[in-house]
Amino acid sequence: MNDAAFWEPLKLSLIVVGSATVIVSVVGIGLAFVLAKRQFQGRELLDAVVTLPLVLPPTVTGYYLIVLLGRRGLVGGYLYDATGWTVSFTWQAAVLAASVMALPLMVKSARAAIESIDDRYEIASYTLGKSEWETFFRITLPLARRGIYAGVVLSFARALGEFGATLMIAGNIPGRTQTMPLAIYEAVAAGEERRAQALALVLTGVSIVAVYLTNKLSNARSPVF
Amino acid sequence: MLHVDIKKRLTSGKSEAFTLHVNFTAADETTVLFGPSGSGKTTTLRLIAGVLTPDEGSIKVGERIFFDSERNLNLSVQRRRVGYVFQDYALFPHLTAEQNVAYGVRPGENGNNGQRKINKRERARELLSLLRVEHTAKRHPAQLSGGESQRVALARTLASEPTVMLLDEPLSAVDVKTREQLLMEIRDVQRSTNIPFLYVTHNPAEAIKIGAHVVLLDQGCVVRRGRPEAVLSVSGDRNEASDH
Repeated sequence: MNDAAFWEPLKLSLIVVGSATVIVSVVGIGLAFVLAKRQFQGRELLDAVVTLPLVLPPTVTGYYLIVLLGRRGLVGGYLYDATGWTVSFTWQAAVLAASVMALPLMVKSARAAIESIDDRYEIASYTLGKSEWETFFRITLPLARRGIYAGVVLSFARALGEFGATLMIAGNIPGRTQTMPLAIYEAVAAGEERRAQALALVLTGVSIVAVYLTNKLSNARSPVF
Repeated sequence: MLHVDIKKRLTSGKSEAFTLHVNFTAADETTVLFGPSGSGKTTTLRLIAGVLTPDEGSIKVGERIFFDSERNLNLSVQRRRVGYVFQDYALFPHLTAEQNVAYGVRPGENGNNGQRKINKRERARELLSLLRVEHTAKRHPAQLSGGESQRVALARTLASEPTVMLLDEPLSAVDVKTREQLLMEIRDVQRSTNIPFLYVTHNPAEAIKIGAHVVLLDQGCVVRRGRPEAVLSVSGDRNEASDH
């Protein structure tokens, strides 16, 4: 298919989903570690806030993103006054929406993996003189990696399918913010069945691979790593 | 020489809160911490290692102060240099035996110009052969027997050049045949390193074989201490029965 209306959403989706997956992995693993290992006031509140996009309707999450980061938003307003730039209706907004929506999946998965590790490994590492950072990167992370991989795959899939929150804050601008799910919606609305079909097939294929990978990662049991 | 004099109020989920109050001195020999489960043996080790913090008191190894509540001193786990040997070894499952030991090798002290960089792998090999498990170098923990695992764990601990050794029921996951031999090896290692070994067990026979000194704990308090035969014969029956 040599059609910009097919390739542009695909290309944009790959950029958006790629960026979101990287952001979600780094932020999500960090949050998971803090939630799993640190005792502090408001820990459960932080967990609830991070989890919220999982249960809220995506349009509501998108609405809050506008309230917070839009041109006249609580934080976005200052940004706009200071720089004249706003995230609304940019491809970065699509990355933001996808990240916020996928983050809870990453955090849940990584937190469970980190919490399931026997704390004796970490104690052993500390007594061997290793700092918390070194222990985290050389012991905790490798031991939690199955759960973390599963979280990455789930986040990738969630980010790829993001529609509601993206539409709210990034809009549906062909070539700029129109990712695949939005393009499908538009193709159907415009009666372009072949385009809708092609895009839907691509998304379905990727989703099947994601489910397969997630199952494989979470069920694999091998004594030797 | 290890001096311990600490108090710690413990609040665990199911059992009612009780206060651990332990004070004893361990010479550069093997001291057995003996007592039924729930008497605070492992908690004591964790307090000495620095994983838990006492409410008050002091912990010293020689002239090095690990903890002193009056002077507000509390050395981090990393800087205490304790060797911790676990019941189920706690070998890092994603690393080979050699990598496990190399992980513990302490890098040369800073500031010593011209000191040759310690080759971690070489040192790991040395320690593995010292404990006669060189053949396990390339294997992962899941492929080791209990005895091999505990030897690798000992080697890893020695790699970090500890100033005190804490052993938490190191033989309980090892088969009976291997126990005797491992017990002698632990004794040899103590003699060659000549640092205090604190050995937790609830097995009287093991305590008598390995211990130069026994500290008997019950419900978080030291109830008796002295030569193993003396301490354990008086209360032998009761303590033997109180576990399992």
